[in-house]
Amino acid sequence: MAERASILSRTIATPVILGLLLTAIALLALLMGSGPFNQTIIDIFIRVILVVGLYIFIGNSGVISFGHIGFTCLGAYMTAWLTIPPPMKKMALPGLPGFVLEAKLPFWVGVPAAAIFAALIAFFFGKILMRLSGIAASIATFAMLALINQIYSNWEDVTGATSSVVGIPINRSIWPYFVATLVAVAIGYAYSISRSGLALRAARDEATAAAASGVDIPKERLRAFVISAFVMGGGGALYAHSVGVVTPDTFYLGLTFISLSMLVVGGMGSLSGAVIGVVLLSTIIQILRLFEKGVALGDTVLTIPNGVQEIAIGVIMIVILMRRPAGIIGNREVGWKGLRKA
Amino acid sequence: MAQTLAADMVSVAFEGLRALSDVTLEIPAGRVTGLIGPNGAGKTTCVNVLTGFQKPSMGRVLLDGQDIGGLPAHRVRQAGIARTFQSGRLFADLTVHENLEVTGVGLGLSRREASRKADALLDWIGIAPLSERLAGGLPYTDERRVAIGRALMLEPAFLLLDEPAAGMSAEEADDLSRLIHRIALEVKCGVLLIEHNIGLVLKTCHSIYVLDSGEIIEFGTPDAIKASEKVRHAYMGTQTDAEGEIL
Ligand SMILES: Nc1ncnc2c1ncn2[C@@H]1O[C@H](COP(=O)(O)OP(=O)(O)OP(=O)(O)O)[C@@H](O)[C@H]1O
Ligand SMILES: [Mg+2]
Repeated sequence: MAERASILSRTIATPVILGLLLTAIALLALLMGSGPFNQTIIDIFIRVILVVGLYIFIGNSGVISFGHIGFTCLGAYMTAWLTIPPPMKKMALPGLPGFVLEAKLPFWVGVPAAAIFAALIAFFFGKILMRLSGIAASIATFAMLALINQIYSNWEDVTGATSSVVGIPINRSIWPYFVATLVAVAIGYAYSISRSGLALRAARDEATAAAASGVDIPKERLRAFVISAFVMGGGGALYAHSVGVVTPDTFYLGLTFISLSMLVVGGMGSLSGAVIGVVLLSTIIQILRLFEKGVALGDTVLTIPNGVQEIAIGVIMIVILMRRPAGIIGNREVGWKGLRKA
Repeated sequence: MAQTLAADMVSVAFEGLRALSDVTLEIPAGRVTGLIGPNGAGKTTCVNVLTGFQKPSMGRVLLDGQDIGGLPAHRVRQAGIARTFQSGRLFADLTVHENLEVTGVGLGLSRREASRKADALLDWIGIAPLSERLAGGLPYTDERRVAIGRALMLEPAFLLLDEPAAGMSAEEADDLSRLIHRIALEVKCGVLLIEHNIGLVLKTCHSIYVLDSGEIIEFGTPDAIKASEKVRHAYMGTQTDAEGEIL
């Protein structure tokens, strides 16, 4: 019997190709060299991080979570608490504990701290939520999102309630975002080939049989939940540093909808689907935004009404779900010789 | 390795309906024990109780005398009691090889170790050529054999098979009978075989329990069961003459 090649060597092409795609996008930004375009690329990187975070839990477990953007909120505020200059914090957020008020940490400390904080909170939520399955689990994650949103919208002297928290140090270089995106893809890949990832995909296909195979389903789900929250929290922190301002409603239904759409369009069951879904939809959104502002075609300026962008995303999602219910990439991953089974 | 798995005065009630009443049975290691009975007799419920999928309303499940009645299903598997399902239940989006690997991982192996064991077992069963096929697209009989392979990973002490021959031809059922014997002899498993194919049960089992309306009505060697008036009665009462004749 021939010795089978290791999982790593059979699948490593996927993260390498996705990494190359992301590198190409970064180089594109470098070539264009303009400020606004840089910001666009940074937005794409952050979305890739968020959607990969969603993939880790949703893709492997098959449980749709509406709550993950809550972890993004936790991460964004955590890095705000740690990195805003102390004088500003004392004015705007006087309720923070003393040592946080005095802290002035660099953003490369704030982001990992935010990710760890989100993972910690996910652990406590997950202890309860991961016992649920199917639609009950999805509704419960939605309740979690609402809960986090309500707390952050009302805790005046710690979160500034619904008003914007400003003064978060802004980082406009694309490189930290690029590196973080590569790290997120690496985490997503590592989880998907891990023991836990395999066990969770088995439970997604057939929960009863997975239990009969010795799989502790709530435990494996909890692992994926915490790891994905880590990525979502880190993504939220990076978002905060990309624009310098956060409000609770930035991390609510709108962002939940768009990030879930990207995952579904690309293909829920694959890491490649997550990354490619973002790149594709982001490109379409950018083009539509351009047209909303007006594009000169010869003598006439072509303008489309505001809101077309959101409508278009909705329509694209419905069409893709009708044509390819498993998304563009489906349950497969990119490899050197085209697509292979995930 | 554990020597006996037993149900001790087990009863299960579903909202008034009594699916099992005071069922006592024993599955010894290294032997094939049959469990037969008409549709709805409670055979699957019995397997569910023995594997942690159904809590008994009364009674105990004993693994070498120790009560394991409260353990969740995955812990029961980790304790060495494996099962297959009447409806197959393979992991459709995973390959055959991965289906087996899942059990290895569920039982604490690394993926590399699990993968190696899966390959060895697929070879042993004789379905290595199916390794890379998606489990979702397999024909019926292959599906059954993959399910047995998945359950056999890491050589469980007990293997409970819920209608593994359903839909098989006579020839395929013969192959299955041989496989079950090898499992009892070479893996030294205690096998519980549930089947409607009475011929297969009589040929394969060392001893047989007969369940009817949730109660064990007979226990004995294949010859004794063949001769039993009670068994004939139970089957004639609920099933077609054709199946009565097999006895
Ligand atoms: N989860 C459940 N809830 C309610 N009733 C159930 C449940 N599971 C089984 N039953 C009932 O318990 C009885 C025994 O069912 P069981 O599936 O154990 O029979 P069986 O002997 O396996 O039959 P078959 O040969 O058709 O597989 C049946 O009357 C069935 O309808
Ligand atoms: Mg049954």
